[in-house]
Amino acid sequence: MRKFQLLFAAFAVITLSYASAQDVTVDEIIDGYFESTGGKDAWRNLKGMKISAKVNQGGMEIPLEIVQLADGKQYTKITFQGMEIKQGVFDGETMWSTNFQSMKAEKADTETTENSKLDMNDFPDSFLDYKDKGYTAELLGTETIDGAETYKVKLTKEPRMLDGKEVEDVSFYYFDAESFVPLAVDQEIKAGPQAGAIGRSTMSDYQEVEGLYFPFSMTQGIKDGPSQPLMIESIEVNPEIDAAAFAFPAEQASPTGN
Amino acid sequence: MKRILIALVALGIFTSLEAQEEIVLSGDELFGDLRARHIGPALMSGRVIDLEGHPTNDRIVYVGSAGGGVWKSTNGGASFQPIFDDYVQSIGKVKLDPKDPDNVIWVGTGEIWTRNSVSVGDGLYKSIDGGVNWKKMGFDKSERISSIEIHPENTNIMYVGVLGALWSDSEERGVYKSEDGGQTWNKVLYIDQTTGCGDVIMDPNDPNTLYASMWEFRRTGWSFNSGGTKSALYKSTDGGKTWNKIHNGFPTGKLGRIAVAVAPSDSNILYAVLETQDENKRGLYKSSDAGKSWTHLNSDFGLVVRPFYFSRIVIDPKNPDVVVKAGLFGSISRDGGKTFKGLGNMHADIHDILFDIKNSDRMYVGTDGGVYRTWDGGTTMEIVANLPISQFYQISVDNNEPYNVYGGLQDNGSWYGPSSSPGGVEARDWNVVGYGDGFRVLKHPSKPILYSEMQGAENVWRYDMETMSTKTVQPLQTKGEEKLRFNWNAPMAVSEAQPDRFYMGSQYLHRSEDMGGTWEVISPDLTTNNKAKQNQEDSGGISKDNSGAENHCTVFTIAESPLNENVIWVGTDDGNIQVTKDGGKSWTNTTANLPANVPDNTWVYHIEASVHGEGTAYAVLEGHTTGDMNPYAFKTTDYGQTWKSITTDQIYGFARNIQEDYVNEDLLFLGTEFGLYITVDGGKNWNQFTNNMPPVAVHFVDLQKKTNDIVMGTHGRGVIIIDDISPLRGITQEVLAKDVHFFESEPAIIEETSPFGGTATEMEFVGSNGSNDVKITYYLKKKHIFGKMNMEVQDESGRTLTEITPGKSKGINVVTWNGLIRPPKLAKGKSFAFGGFTSPRMPAGTYKVVMQKGKDTYETSVTLVNDPKSNITQEERKANQEAVIKLYNMSEQLAYMVYQIDEILAKAEEVKANGGSKSADAVIKELNDLKETLVVTTGDNYVASAEPQLRGKLANLYSKIASGFQAPSASELDNLKLLEERYEKARNDFSYIQSKRVPKMEKFMEGKGMTQIEFKSFEEFIDE
Repeated sequence: MRKFQLLFAAFAVITLSYASAQDVTVDEIIDGYFESTGGKDAWRNLKGMKISAKVNQGGMEIPLEIVQLADGKQYTKITFQGMEIKQGVFDGETMWSTNFQSMKAEKADTETTENSKLDMNDFPDSFLDYKDKGYTAELLGTETIDGAETYKVKLTKEPRMLDGKEVEDVSFYYFDAESFVPLAVDQEIKAGPQAGAIGRSTMSDYQEVEGLYFPFSMTQGIKDGPSQPLMIESIEVNPEIDAAAFAFPAEQASPTGN
Repeated sequence: MKRILIALVALGIFTSLEAQEEIVLSGDELFGDLRARHIGPALMSGRVIDLEGHPTNDRIVYVGSAGGGVWKSTNGGASFQPIFDDYVQSIGKVKLDPKDPDNVIWVGTGEIWTRNSVSVGDGLYKSIDGGVNWKKMGFDKSERISSIEIHPENTNIMYVGVLGALWSDSEERGVYKSEDGGQTWNKVLYIDQTTGCGDVIMDPNDPNTLYASMWEFRRTGWSFNSGGTKSALYKSTDGGKTWNKIHNGFPTGKLGRIAVAVAPSDSNILYAVLETQDENKRGLYKSSDAGKSWTHLNSDFGLVVRPFYFSRIVIDPKNPDVVVKAGLFGSISRDGGKTFKGLGNMHADIHDILFDIKNSDRMYVGTDGGVYRTWDGGTTMEIVANLPISQFYQISVDNNEPYNVYGGLQDNGSWYGPSSSPGGVEARDWNVVGYGDGFRVLKHPSKPILYSEMQGAENVWRYDMETMSTKTVQPLQTKGEEKLRFNWNAPMAVSEAQPDRFYMGSQYLHRSEDMGGTWEVISPDLTTNNKAKQNQEDSGGISKDNSGAENHCTVFTIAESPLNENVIWVGTDDGNIQVTKDGGKSWTNTTANLPANVPDNTWVYHIEASVHGEGTAYAVLEGHTTGDMNPYAFKTTDYGQTWKSITTDQIYGFARNIQEDYVNEDLLFLGTEFGLYITVDGGKNWNQFTNNMPPVAVHFVDLQKKTNDIVMGTHGRGVIIIDDISPLRGITQEVLAKDVHFFESEPAIIEETSPFGGTATEMEFVGSNGSNDVKITYYLKKKHIFGKMNMEVQDESGRTLTEITPGKSKGINVVTWNGLIRPPKLAKGKSFAFGGFTSPRMPAGTYKVVMQKGKDTYETSVTLVNDPKSNITQEERKANQEAVIKLYNMSEQLAYMVYQIDEILAKAEEVKANGGSKSADAVIKELNDLKETLVVTTGDNYVASAEPQLRGKLANLYSKIASGFQAPSASELDNLKLLEERYEKARNDFSYIQSKRVPKMEKFMEGKGMTQIEFKSFEEFIDE
């Protein structure tokens, strides 16, 4: 808690110096963000995280375990009535999920998998050493998000494929003008009936875990529309995860077996 | 982002605060997550001005609508999304950059098919990221931009055609050129302040060759003129430096609006559609020599109809002989314009056509009723079902639950539909209750009757909503009366004091006490009766256009005081505000009492008679039909003896309507050409409301009294609702000074209606529902960013029932709770017991809401009540709850038992491995036998599922009973009894195994020094 307060005092100092300088640059904002949340070195040293979270759907709490590792491996595990269902599992080569009907693992389509490979360098944050990744960031101006003044930054990553056509990968981050932490991210929805609409994620309840600050409350939805909250209960940094947890199961038990 | 600051002044009650600095909040800081929702409808959609395709990707299509913004499809026109919601919604032209069409989009605002009811634009916009962000690129005073052309190789070279102001002179007209990608502009073709550019097009094969049609035109509130000596077709071959008329083959005399197109596949072939003085020379002209000479080919109705509305001709990109002409029904020629046939059946009034780049049989057509697609060259047409760009003139609401919204649409009849519906408000929820152009639809205050009308009161229907029978009831001219002059948008009103009373306004006020059966004129001519403004048969210019839309010197708004039925207000389109205090015996014209800055004869668009005082009323005037775009809103408290302006320069654009709050006199809602403005201090400061609310023309605002919902009839985005604005009533300096302030929460009714609903496909628009959940509304002084902030619902003893996610915005936050708590924890099995996904509902009562923000705790309470309309008795509810709790608890106890079994089994396997088969085998066998009767151990979640065991049966019965409100049926009770017995038997069997078999095994374990079996407590197990 003391650490938190110290860091908070640091924000205030940054704020004062930047607020007086009207011409803040995009890199000052991004640097400020990492400075506020633990420092770039600490982020670079992060090897992985395991997030325990829950989403609430109409009164039903769905517990999630989200694992992301620095080498791009990831999974989301849902536990229901004692059964474990994995979604968005990626071992660096194969992307797969558990089918809800058969409860067996199924591979994602090739395009989805290839797009996931593009995200392997985004741990822990797309903005960390973004120039080395070939990304560009551009400060577009200021905007009020939920009543807070923010800097709007456009992030352009590698183009992705969508239904056989190449599309740009652009997102818009809103960094709090006082603390430089991101409060929201907008991204145009590219597929499905809502293609063309703007998807918005929001972040709040930043809290410290071993020197790093993470948002413990997030929402995901349509800008100006309904959204789904995600409540994070705990974050474990640098967890030990068996590589088998990411691998596509070689042989699966038949539905009538066991 | 406009940063309008609002000073929210204390109401004079909190004297201690007076000396302190006022807290100032802008709209996006104050309104928090009060958010508008859109209910459409989209089934009849609305007017489309322009269609634009992508040069290489035929999945991408853009729609520019008359009043509903820009929409983008990425699925070949199957469905669309709005991409221009922060800017003016009236669109003239959408254009993609030819070199970077994925990213660079240009939008010229201001619709160009200049009917009487058009909205206005405010310039040119550009996006460089496919429509996510936009930047204004000038032409602030252009009002209407007709064309944008971009050099295909050097995209810094651009041309913009500005049609310009419809209602007034303007020098911002003509053809403009930029050579720096739109940073600076030069006017390269200008005729005069009355003549605009109807179209400028570029030869696709020679970017230096341009054609421009110039049009002399003007509208007033009472007439329209198309044509004159200055209308002409020009050509430039030097990139706009010099222009020459190309009229060889055109008739002499005045010309009107001209459509022009060059064939993409052959630059020599041009088509032009002319409006000429000589009726026989109108219609289609063709040139085969790039405009050197013209031949007149066709004067069919479809080619000459209403040039101001339909001057567009489109050529198949692959075949210069295939030409499609916009029109009342749309016409297509496949022989180079010699002959035409009609397009397939769709909504009338076709404004634009777009050919698919790869397959000319595929076309998109923009109409007064949305966008249609064809796959067979225009023979059959299908509507795009998710464009809610409907254009309401008026709306009203009733008192049903959920309440209905009634209203009339431009060229799309009269309708009513529910504000919420199971699964969302869909096309099927709307009922049509009138033809033609619809305007006002009013519900009888107590009977299942409504009144609807079509343009100019040609028909006024009294519609019985139960029998669906109609009777026409409009007042007609009687002996001794002058001809009745009804506005195109003729006013009607009902009375709260006398439910059968019905008013209509011509130049007189008509009153009926029997729902329109008999009429009495209760006023003299209330207008200026200026004969110079009553020559509508001469309207139209060189093509006569006497639709009735220009009828003038008419009554436009009628308001009976809700406090005194003898006080009636009338406003006229020619500027009179008349009031009677004796039910029409005598009238006073209060217009002279308006402030001096209001121009004479400014249209009185709306009068709102206040509930806060008999002599109190609001008047909204607007002068856009004279080119005056200023907002005018006034308040009187003395029957119009004095009128005080309540607008400020924070309001952008002219206003049409005002709605007062029925509780807080200082809370007002103003509908303007560019959206909704709200004041909480009686008009000292105004804030634009932008939460999911585009700056669309708001033609009418109503306030539903039971729900406190603001309901808006917009002219371009259908019906838009802001649910429950009551928190705005409580905004005071004292509230704004607090870190957290909970507003009083209304008890929420527990809905008992079925969850069935939802028939729309994913390509159809579905309006979002309001929430029936209990609302927890609070004000936060600062956005919460750091540290934990959570919220939970507790029962009165402080036991946590459920967690909900609080809003964290600065300003007003609205969080809802649906009255549900977590479902029971079920035993681990091989597949799901789907009944276990049902959440139990908490009964009616008061619940605590505790919010933890950092180290501070805040508390409020909410109340759930049973639906007073429900016929379920208290005893039945109690029986339901008892059964639910019993099954819930049994399910969780079973889960705990299965957990214990699994723990023992795991240990027994260990014992077996350690040579303890003798004591472990019996345990393993008997426990497995028992377990197989408790949970399924095989199968999947679909058709390979196993026969459910006790867990599934309990969950199944639990779910059935918990989903309803009534007492369990006899069959359910019998089933419950059976399951209870099975459960008891399982318990006994388990106890038996535990007491008879397990101790032997434990003894073996003790001997081996193995750790003993330890169970979590039931509570630990449930909470893990």
